[in-house]
Amino acid sequence: MSRTGEGPDSSRGNGGRAHTHAAFSALLEDSAEELYESAPCGYLSTLMDGTIAKINTTLLNWLGLDREDVVGRRRFVDLLTVGGKLYHETHFAPLLRMQGELRGIALEMRTAQGARLAVLVSSAVKYGSEGDPLLIRTTVFDASDRRAYEEELLRRRQEAEHARAEAEAARRQAEADRQRLADALAVLQRSLLPETLPRLPGIETAVYYHTASPDRLGGDFYDLFPLGDGRWAFFLGDVCGKGPEAASLTSLTRHTLRTAAHHDPTPVTALTTLNTVLHERYSASGDPRYCTVVYGILEPGRDGGPATVQLASGGHPPALVLRADGGVDLLSTPGGLLVGVLPSAPVVTAGTTLAPGDTLLLYTDGLTEARTGPTRASLYGEDALYGFVAAQAPTTAQELVTALTALLKGFGEGLDDDTALLALGVPGIPAHPLPVSDDPR
Amino acid sequence: MSPLSLTHRDTVAGPVLLVAGELDFVHAAELRRQVEGLVLHAGQCLVLDLSGVEFCDSTGITALLAARQHALAAEAEIVLAAVPAHLERILTIVGLVQVFTLRATAEDT
Repeated sequence: MSRTGEGPDSSRGNGGRAHTHAAFSALLEDSAEELYESAPCGYLSTLMDGTIAKINTTLLNWLGLDREDVVGRRRFVDLLTVGGKLYHETHFAPLLRMQGELRGIALEMRTAQGARLAVLVSSAVKYGSEGDPLLIRTTVFDASDRRAYEEELLRRRQEAEHARAEAEAARRQAEADRQRLADALAVLQRSLLPETLPRLPGIETAVYYHTASPDRLGGDFYDLFPLGDGRWAFFLGDVCGKGPEAASLTSLTRHTLRTAAHHDPTPVTALTTLNTVLHERYSASGDPRYCTVVYGILEPGRDGGPATVQLASGGHPPALVLRADGGVDLLSTPGGLLVGVLPSAPVVTAGTTLAPGDTLLLYTDGLTEARTGPTRASLYGEDALYGFVAAQAPTTAQELVTALTALLKGFGEGLDDDTALLALGVPGIPAHPLPVSDDPR
Repeated sequence: MSPLSLTHRDTVAGPVLLVAGELDFVHAAELRRQVEGLVLHAGQCLVLDLSGVEFCDSTGITALLAARQHALAAEAEIVLAAVPAHLERILTIVGLVQVFTLRATAEDT
């Protein structure tokens, strides 16, 4: 250290400067010994075996130890916690011997009261003139603030991890609930439709059912069942609305029609019964609900001959007949009213004969109300459907449904309503009975 | 898709509701709510001006039927005015042209 008062301005010697001199001197009178003992960090020196040869007051105070209990009596590792000892023996000491110097190693010391003191330790080996190691000089910094900060970080991270795990568990639960609901809805949905279609002698059948959304139970329905006298009843329709209420209406409609058909299968009678039931159940109590439906009776011909069809419609789009010669007929039922709206509703009938090669198609309006075009603003209308169907004729029930299914799939998200298709056809070559399709949906 | 817009005005003959936009599953309930909130007196005529309807599905039809029931319950009449061609086609298929009175414009002429 340089002597004081020899700066360039010292000769001037005014009062203010004298004061500064005094303060400076006081600082610099801080002896090296005093600095060592009272430094804001701990110092200690050990022999190469770790025995403490010298330790400063600061570190003794931190640890609550007396000098005479430490110097010459304890080794550095004795000041460490068990974990600290382990780390010292396995990492710290070997590295120090190898490198001669270590910096900023985190260790834990133990105070006389048994408390832990987190510290950062730097050590350097002092070598003799021959290069032989003489002693180890070590500085110790109190790292408890830093350790607390790190522990806080760790705790926060664990909390975040925990919250994330909880959110994940909640998400899985919600996903499981959603799946269970979807499964239940699928079971309900299936209860509204026949599992498979029965085989009809001399008639090829095909169906397709598209659900617009798995969580909105559909309002379209169809059925085909024997009347027991060689004739078969079939129906296809669409109830208003979507979801559970529509499903309950669908269920009532389907079972009413089945029961009515067995009581009196005449199309007008069956639909009139349905109208009475639905009106009494819903509209009469101020909750207008209704369906559009085509109900019919099919009598297969003998030995692959022509089949006869009688049908009635309540507010449903006309059925189409694709003829063996490539023509398409509309089975129009103008004036048939939605079923369930009025106490007594007009039901309109139509009839036709299905010759070999002819196919009858029933469909719901999801098909003609699919949104098409780039903006999905325009609807795929009846005229487009008639054109498409005409291009298929003549065809078979299965080929027609396959072609229409492909058309529907092409609509993608434009198909925002349920759609049902039911095709009944008389095979064109009676000598080769075609397999009956019972594609469930 | 355009949302549903409903504009209500009163005339001597009764309320006129101008319906524009889409009468679909999402929006038809709003028409139903509005109509069922209308106070109708016996002998009045509720006019639904449908000139602005761009789309109508089965839930839209249900809303029209609910309006009809609301009117009949009050011993009032209901008229569908300025029905666009696409909607008239649907009303024809489902047979409702026999049930509703259709008029070319909302104005009583």
